Amino acid sequence: MNYQDFEIKSVKIGDKIYPKRLSEIKNSPKRIFYRGNIDILTSKILGVVGSRRMTRYGRNVVKRFIPTLVSEGVVTVSGFMYGVDTEVASETLEVGGKTVAVFGCGLDVVYPPENKKLYAQILENDGLVLSEYEKNAKPHLWKFPQRNRIVAGVTSVGVLIIEAGIKSGSLITARLARSMGRKIWAVPGPIDSLTSQGTNYFIKKGFAKMATEPYDILSMKRTAKREYEKSNLDFFEKKILNLLAREPLGADEISQALSEDISRVSSALTVMTIKGIIGESGGKFFLVEKSLQY
Amino acid sequence: MLTKVMSATHFGLDTLPVEVEVNIAKKGFPGFNIIGLPSKSVEEAKERVKTALVNSGVEFPNAKIVVNLAPADIPKEGSSYDLPIACGILRSLEAISLPSEKMFFYGELSLDGSLRHTKGVLLLALYAKERGIKSLFVPKDSSFEAAVVSGVRVYPVENLAQILSHFNGGGQIGVFRGLKEIDIHEDIFPEIDFSDILGQESAKRALEIAASGGHNVHMQGPPGSGKTMLARAMAGILPPLSEKESLEVTKIYSVSGNLPAGASLVYDRPFRVSHHTTSRIGLIGGGSNPHPGEISLAHRGVLFLDEFPEFSRGTLEALRQPMEDGEVSITRAAGSVKFPASFMLVAASNPCPCGYLGDAKRECKCSPRQIMRYQTKLSGPLMDRIDIHINVPALDVDELMERGVVKKPERSISVRERVLRARKIQLKRFEKDGIYTNSDMKNKHIKKYCVLDSAGQAILKQAVNTYGLSARTYFRIIKVARTIADLAGRKDIDATCVAEALQYRVRSSD
Repeated sequence: MNYQDFEIKSVKIGDKIYPKRLSEIKNSPKRIFYRGNIDILTSKILGVVGSRRMTRYGRNVVKRFIPTLVSEGVVTVSGFMYGVDTEVASETLEVGGKTVAVFGCGLDVVYPPENKKLYAQILENDGLVLSEYEKNAKPHLWKFPQRNRIVAGVTSVGVLIIEAGIKSGSLITARLARSMGRKIWAVPGPIDSLTSQGTNYFIKKGFAKMATEPYDILSMKRTAKREYEKSNLDFFEKKILNLLAREPLGADEISQALSEDISRVSSALTVMTIKGIIGESGGKFFLVEKSLQY
Repeated sequence: MLTKVMSATHFGLDTLPVEVEVNIAKKGFPGFNIIGLPSKSVEEAKERVKTALVNSGVEFPNAKIVVNLAPADIPKEGSSYDLPIACGILRSLEAISLPSEKMFFYGELSLDGSLRHTKGVLLLALYAKERGIKSLFVPKDSSFEAAVVSGVRVYPVENLAQILSHFNGGGQIGVFRGLKEIDIHEDIFPEIDFSDILGQESAKRALEIAASGGHNVHMQGPPGSGKTMLARAMAGILPPLSEKESLEVTKIYSVSGNLPAGASLVYDRPFRVSHHTTSRIGLIGGGSNPHPGEISLAHRGVLFLDEFPEFSRGTLEALRQPMEDGEVSITRAAGSVKFPASFMLVAASNPCPCGYLGDAKRECKCSPRQIMRYQTKLSGPLMDRIDIHINVPALDVDELMERGVVKKPERSISVRERVLRARKIQLKRFEKDGIYTNSDMKNKHIKKYCVLDSAGQAILKQAVNTYGLSARTYFRIIKVARTIADLAGRKDIDATCVAEALQYRVRSSD
């Protein structure tokens, strides 16, 4: 199915179906256009924002948080940009949830164009896309911060920040949400990572609560256990495993740390990758968690 | 009086005989004309020949001179017709007497009557041998390359005066005695040694495998990580050319005018570097009279393409067929020629336009779309033809020093020894197959020579399922595994070889 198969509808402020929470914010849009199911805005809505330049860490966070949140009935809202937005929307759909995308352009303009398929998928899964712009409005830089106030406005649970630079649109959204009295959570990251500076800053300043697991947001208690596959490994593979448990490393670094020949390390890494114990990205090898148990 | 002198022209790597007919008519309006589709350079031979003859003490006739280059329907190019035309005129003037034996004259004249180094002499000598023509008169500077061919008499001509005396019963030109034996360079002194490069052990290992099996390599990494240095150091670990290979390479260099004066054979394995503004024809070869491109000049050697994705898409895709076939056929209006192009491609690229995607220290400034466009420039089919893909990470030198575990890096010379050993195994294996290295193997050779033990088979099968490898990639991995086994001196390919080879497979970027 195509996104065009869903009709564009519009609703004016004051209408019965106009999202209530959106009408309560300062300068709420006079009229909004939407495709899909607008009723889902009455459920538990969590805004998720984050960097367009997401790292593997951000992806891991999404994979850890979203499935649990969805299973607790949370509907995610994001800005349909690449990076965290796209990742959150597709992860939500993957685990059978519903998601809302707020466009910074008209609903007949797909921006970024790579997300055309995602657009249709959101609608097919009973989701919602909405925008305050006429259907053919082009994306402009100034429209995105505008769009952010809608993302913040429709949330009921609050806003979660996953990876954000110190000067980023994600922090703009978070500040807006804060001024609207919404709750803010931020996922801390390594202090030397550029895409975690914003989130760490928010936590340090007390603007956001720290979230290290999805239950922090749902205010429930349980702790995560990290588990790795350890059986079926020979002595050498276990040595590599122990190294990688601390941080992701390149083949050269592994070979140096173990003072082992590079050819032997390479072949062991392949075997472990095929077994699914480790993964590789950008030349660094990392451990793949067997399952996320809470 | 009419005289016929034999010479030759080259089309691609083929040589065709050309008969230079000179007629000097006493009657008619005085003039000097060359016919037989001469190009500008042949047309200008008139002035060179005339002045050279006058400066050699010959009185140039005030008569109607017609030079016909037969067959008349093939376009003639180059300066090699100067000597045959001059000899034809001398003979027509009865200043010299040519014997009835067929002999080739070939070479460019200088205005003072001396002969200059001319391209394509090696091919002429090979053709003469094939046709049973015993005597060649070629410029002295070019006679070294002709002397490589046994069974022909090469007369090194310094100037026209020598020709005059040789064919007048005066002082003879001595037959050129070539170099006694072919001097294959056992030692080379590369500009960059492997030991100059700190760290990057996995990249070095990959290059060692590539050099051993003649595999194509693609290196990806941020700027300053040492990709270019690694590629240049590669020249120092390549084995020397064998005699047969050397002849193949020299033919191309001779015909394209890349052989310096006084050189005989090309001994060092070619290492060609092309900038990304190189045109498609410059890289692949072509032109109305087709000449070899960089890929042919890199035949039996290395072609290094830095900033790989910056090459135009058309140029990159044009590399595909020659990479697969080891030769390139170029068809133009004048006909179709084949140039050998069995080269080893070493390509280097950044992960994204700004270069810092995935870098720990610096932020990447590219938009995802830019990155996608940059990476899709390297199409699947092209990357499929590259056997070895490696990541060259940026290194923190201070950190390397601090850890203090940096082994003293190995010198190129000892890496080269292992490469030579692996090549020797391959040469012996492919003795009867007409190929030289593992990368040249076709599927039938793979079936014959690449026996995987059961564990090796199992891991490869698993990898095919896990990574969804294409059939071509599958065979590439076996070829690389074969080379790894050769380096280790193993007869069969075991699981560790396959597993290491899998590290060098093409990865989809995420």
